[in-house]
Amino acid sequence: MKPEGLFGPRVLYRRLLGLSIFSAVVLLVPVVFSDPYDLELLFLCHYYVMLACSWDLLTGFTGNVSFGHAFFVGGAGFAGALLNLHLGWGPWLTLPIGGLIAALCGLVVGSFTLRLRGPYFAAVTFCFATLLYKLIMIRYEIFGGEEGLSGIDWLMETSLGNYYFSGILMLAAILFLYLLSKSSFGLILRSIGENEVASEGSGINTTFYKIVAFMISGFIAGVAGAMYGHAQMHVGPEMAHDSLSGLVIIMAVVGGMGSIIGPIIGAYLLTLANESLRFMGEFRLLIYSSAVVAIILFAPKGLLDIITRGFRRIVGQEK
Amino acid sequence: MEAILEIKELSKAFGGLEALLNFDMEVRQGDLIGMIGPNGAGKTTVFNLITGFIKPDSGDVWLKGEKTTYLKPFQIVNRGMSRTFQLVDLFKEMTVLENVMVPCFSHRAKQRRHNGKKPWKVAIEFLEEIGLADRFNELAKNLPFGELRLLDIARAMATEPDILLLDEPFSGLDVEDAAVLSQAIQRMHKKGQTMIIIEHRLGDLLKLVESVVVIVFGQKIAEGTPEEIMNNEKVVNAYLGQRRQ
Repeated sequence: MKPEGLFGPRVLYRRLLGLSIFSAVVLLVPVVFSDPYDLELLFLCHYYVMLACSWDLLTGFTGNVSFGHAFFVGGAGFAGALLNLHLGWGPWLTLPIGGLIAALCGLVVGSFTLRLRGPYFAAVTFCFATLLYKLIMIRYEIFGGEEGLSGIDWLMETSLGNYYFSGILMLAAILFLYLLSKSSFGLILRSIGENEVASEGSGINTTFYKIVAFMISGFIAGVAGAMYGHAQMHVGPEMAHDSLSGLVIIMAVVGGMGSIIGPIIGAYLLTLANESLRFMGEFRLLIYSSAVVAIILFAPKGLLDIITRGFRRIVGQEK
Repeated sequence: MEAILEIKELSKAFGGLEALLNFDMEVRQGDLIGMIGPNGAGKTTVFNLITGFIKPDSGDVWLKGEKTTYLKPFQIVNRGMSRTFQLVDLFKEMTVLENVMVPCFSHRAKQRRHNGKKPWKVAIEFLEEIGLADRFNELAKNLPFGELRLLDIARAMATEPDILLLDEPFSGLDVEDAAVLSQAIQRMHKKGQTMIIIEHRLGDLLKLVESVVVIVFGQKIAEGTPEEIMNNEKVVNAYLGQRRQ
């Protein structure tokens, strides 16, 4: 192989082929699954894909495990809800503004965690989300406490509308994050994740890149959070709860971190599995958790790695 | 000729240990200088101080007339001074090509990229220069140690430095790899690259360099041509060892 084979428009087209097929499937799914319950479930998948992929940009690439993704989701969700309830702003305004507020939150968290690594970084990001959660509970006159805020304008009038709105937003987010991950920005984030000292020693302003990654990650999670609030017509403290951050991490890990594509697989699989196992009653959580543990143990690089290797074997690129 | 790097009375202590004391040095364009001394003498501390990885207690560093003493490492790289590391510090899970592409996105490299050349093409040129172009798609973690050293040098060179600092580049290399590295250093020097090399393997070093700085217990005890240093009594007593009668 020659170096030219790794770059150029043909490589880009090849990469985008998979995403194009996925986009077509997303757009055609309602032809088969038109039941409102199915569409609501798939809306949830879109929501979690946006969260897991945005988390992956930050953690899968820079290597710093964030336990505070709910901070962005809850922050933007409540900001959007308050703007809607008090100023009457609709989703077309509250979604981007919610995203921008979450990006600002990313700037703040990023600035606070610049010099932190490993468990220290994880602990501080965790604390930010917890602080927001506690604030929501304490200032119930503003945030509604445990009950949250209701009566928010709907996103779209029908489940089908919600499905397409969230689906297109998700596809746009995936395309943006995927192209970003394959650009010089993605390469530099990977270098920071691999070896920050060497990256800085290569003339890279690692602080700048980490903060920008935080802001982009926050923006996409924030848009998703604001979207979720409108779709449910309600925001609650669970949107800032650490269990949401944990779930997003599990989705990305199960799918395969550092790829943007892996978290899509993880988010779809776990959201659908969680629902489809409901007939098992009290055993649902046991089976669900065991399956997650088994995947992490037997596929530590995620399902994407297994799928990729399987595909290579089929086409004869790997023995 | 005016010095492009001036180090003035640089000092650093770690707790009670004086790692470097009032260290002075001047480097001119095109110089190839060796830095020797026993283990723990303070040689790598000099590199860490002048490249911004640690901050000095006192003293100053001037790079091309600009004070760089308290700048961050990436700012110093972007002003023209780059280094390799004693323990080869690379992006192990990235390919050889990607390792050299990362510095191609530094501010300095982007400014210097002639005719808007693509970063991967620039990176391939550096790999060709160091003799690793045919390994471009190999993961760095799969390279043997000698090639890792070469890759680290290519990574540092890709920042297009005015001064290149090599920290024990021959360490851990066999005779064959050391010869390849010597040739690469000579080629770079012939093209006018200014370099400072820290090395314990005096045989390899003294064949390459034009002048040598000797550091013992954090202080410069001698400076001169390789011949002068080999015959300097202070150096012989403190570092090289007494000659047999």
